[in-house]
Amino acid sequence: MNRERFRHWRMKLVIFLAVLGPGIITASVDNDSGGIYTYSVAGAHFGYSLLWMLIPITIALIVIQEMVARMGVVTGKGLADLIREEYGLRTTFILMVLLLVANLGNTISEFAGLASGMSVFGVSRFVAVPLGALFVWALVVKGSYRIVEKVFLGACVFYVVYPISSFLTDHNWSQALMGTVKPSFEFNASYFYMVTGLVGTTIAPWMQFYLQSAMVEKGIKLKNYVYSKWDVIAGCFVTDIVAFFIIVACAATIFASGHREINSAADAALALRPLAGHAASALFAFGLVNASLFSASILPLSTAYSVCEGLGLEAGVNKRFHEAPAFYWLYTTLIVVGALTVVVLSEEMQIPIILLSQVTNGVLLPFVLIFMLRLSNREDLMGKYRNTRTFNIIAWVTCVVMISMTALMLVSAFFPARIPA
Amino acid sequence: MIYFTELENLPMYGVKGEYLGRLCDICVDPSQNSLRVASYVVRGPKKNLFCITHEQLQSLSVRAGQTSVPREEVRRYAPDEGLLHVKKDVLDQQIIDVNNRKVVRVNDVDFDIQPTDGHTELRIVAVNVGFAAAVRRLLQGLAAKYTIRLITSPFPTKTIPWEFVNLIEPNPARRVKLRISYDRLAQLHPADIGDILEELSPGEQKAVIESLDDETAAQAISEIPTRMQAALLESISPEKAADIVEEMPPDEAADVLQEMPPETSAEVLADMEQEEAEDVRELLGFEENTAGALMTNEFVFVGDAATVEGAIVALKNFEGPLEPIHVIYLVNSEAVLTGAVPLARILLAESSVRLKDLSEESVVSLPSHADKKEVVDVFHKYNLVTLPVVDEKGHLLGVVTFDDVLELMLNRK
Repeated sequence: MNRERFRHWRMKLVIFLAVLGPGIITASVDNDSGGIYTYSVAGAHFGYSLLWMLIPITIALIVIQEMVARMGVVTGKGLADLIREEYGLRTTFILMVLLLVANLGNTISEFAGLASGMSVFGVSRFVAVPLGALFVWALVVKGSYRIVEKVFLGACVFYVVYPISSFLTDHNWSQALMGTVKPSFEFNASYFYMVTGLVGTTIAPWMQFYLQSAMVEKGIKLKNYVYSKWDVIAGCFVTDIVAFFIIVACAATIFASGHREINSAADAALALRPLAGHAASALFAFGLVNASLFSASILPLSTAYSVCEGLGLEAGVNKRFHEAPAFYWLYTTLIVVGALTVVVLSEEMQIPIILLSQVTNGVLLPFVLIFMLRLSNREDLMGKYRNTRTFNIIAWVTCVVMISMTALMLVSAFFPARIPA
Repeated sequence: MIYFTELENLPMYGVKGEYLGRLCDICVDPSQNSLRVASYVVRGPKKNLFCITHEQLQSLSVRAGQTSVPREEVRRYAPDEGLLHVKKDVLDQQIIDVNNRKVVRVNDVDFDIQPTDGHTELRIVAVNVGFAAAVRRLLQGLAAKYTIRLITSPFPTKTIPWEFVNLIEPNPARRVKLRISYDRLAQLHPADIGDILEELSPGEQKAVIESLDDETAAQAISEIPTRMQAALLESISPEKAADIVEEMPPDEAADVLQEMPPETSAEVLADMEQEEAEDVRELLGFEENTAGALMTNEFVFVGDAATVEGAIVALKNFEGPLEPIHVIYLVNSEAVLTGAVPLARILLAESSVRLKDLSEESVVSLPSHADKKEVVDVFHKYNLVTLPVVDEKGHLLGVVTFDDVLELMLNRK
């Protein structure tokens, strides 16, 4: 009896490990260089007091990611495919152009993150960025989906450097726990700016496209969806646990020291050096490099996939260059332009591009979320797997909050509030 | 030639010039005529939908359409599953282009206007998947139709004649109503059908497989990755799956059954014909990634006393596919492998010659538990096309064919 039960559980574990991937990878890429920067600033300026935000953020992330994952498994089609079939070519085209612009900007920020992370180790961006770009390009063009996924899962594991780095600091667990469970509010511009920043960095349009396509590409069967759901949920938790440790590391050191001015994620790593030692600082910077490289390969890939899918062009890692030229050209161009921008332009000159990408992300998000909600309620597409009433209420509330927060973040991006040093 | 993008939103008028509404969809009734437009769906000013039948249409141009009857005689639109709606069912959907053996997405649909005794008929000519059609869709309604034609004229057009278009309808009942058949698709090479299947979502794959005959379905399924095969066969009824698996080469069948959950594969095996199920069961007993798991048990063998004539009789009596047969194997009275004769030698020899004399000096074989790596090495070293597999006592169990080794090599990369 016991043996049978053991076998039963082992079987379940095997299936879970087989479907594991898309959810965890998507959620981890969410902690890209921009995310790490935002969490570092949150910790550096507000100490442990913003940790409570992570709980509603995790819930929102789970609600939205579960919905696209489910759509991918049930319909066997990507989000761009579904939008094309439902809303026509013109809508899809506009969405894809916006996605392209937004993701080009995102790719630039990833390469910028790579450059600044490597600068902590004394490596010039003229070396780090071209090498990084080449690595990322070759991985996808020369590798197969299975290899790519394994490398990505490996990259997810490296996020463990953040918990380690925060253990090396002089942290205060009781304060951190208090900050996590007890919401605290401040009524001033910089607090508000920070809150919208945290929310805005969590849910980006590209993630929805990527996750759904990854589910389809992986060929997850409907009866195994339960396991995929756990993949998604686990991913969301892991992501926000990493965010928790980044905030704690910065709160315990930079915030406590009183010198709270940081302008990039690499600044945070440098600030850790005198406060928590070389090891903590190096781990922090390594995490940034890993996250940037990881996102720099997934973002262009997911963009090329979605655009080709939506416009009916051939796409796929398993196809050759001449079979899917549009796909490979898009992918290559995004990486080359992204890397070149960081190498050629100075940091100040990159700011307007990144701002533009934030705006397009913000414009895109409401459309993507609303299309998703409407599609996942369609009976002919989803059958009995369409959203339940309760789920719809939670999802609509989440989407409305996300959309308004993003709108507010955009406004504040143009009128930056002065963050008290 | 007129495009759907030019017809959509076209103002429609009654016989007295009264405004009816705007054209929003065009329907074809495949049970009547697969090319002629059967009816026109019009959205009235109050959002109510009307349906103009093809007999009621007096004239149609890029500017407007007019009926031959007054507004009162135009009936209300009632949804009908048996009608093919150009906008809803064709535009932006994926179709199979049988001629070019590809799955493509429809950008526009081309029609021909034909005046027919007193009224106007529209015939569906082709679907448009080219760049010009995509630009036309983007500009639709934003510029005059004439201007759009001018702008798009330099872009490449790509059309697929309607008779080469295979729609993909997951709902079986509707497939029957719309008379969707995959006869033309079935005539393609199974490897091409396999490629097409790989491009489709699981629901669509199921639709295509269910409408193919068992033999074609089996050949096409054998061409897609094993995991996809398993998922696809699991999604259809066990009886149909059994019919298809029966037609597959036994080694492919064993691979796919191994990939399925035990309950499902048992069910499929139980539904199969006794003989075929036996062949597959035999192969299922071997451990994965060994010569035993790679081999097929469809091969030709004769007793080692036989002559060329006997070999030809054995070939004539062989029930499996002949294409993979390149060598005839010889066994002694205890079924132990003793020789191998290539077909070409048999072809050139007199009918009374004993096969033993034609056999190669020493026959290369591997035990069934040999690793797949060893199989590849042996194939490479001895330049083999087929490799016999034996048990510990040398009894001939089966044959590994070259195509399986090639696949093994490609997957290793």
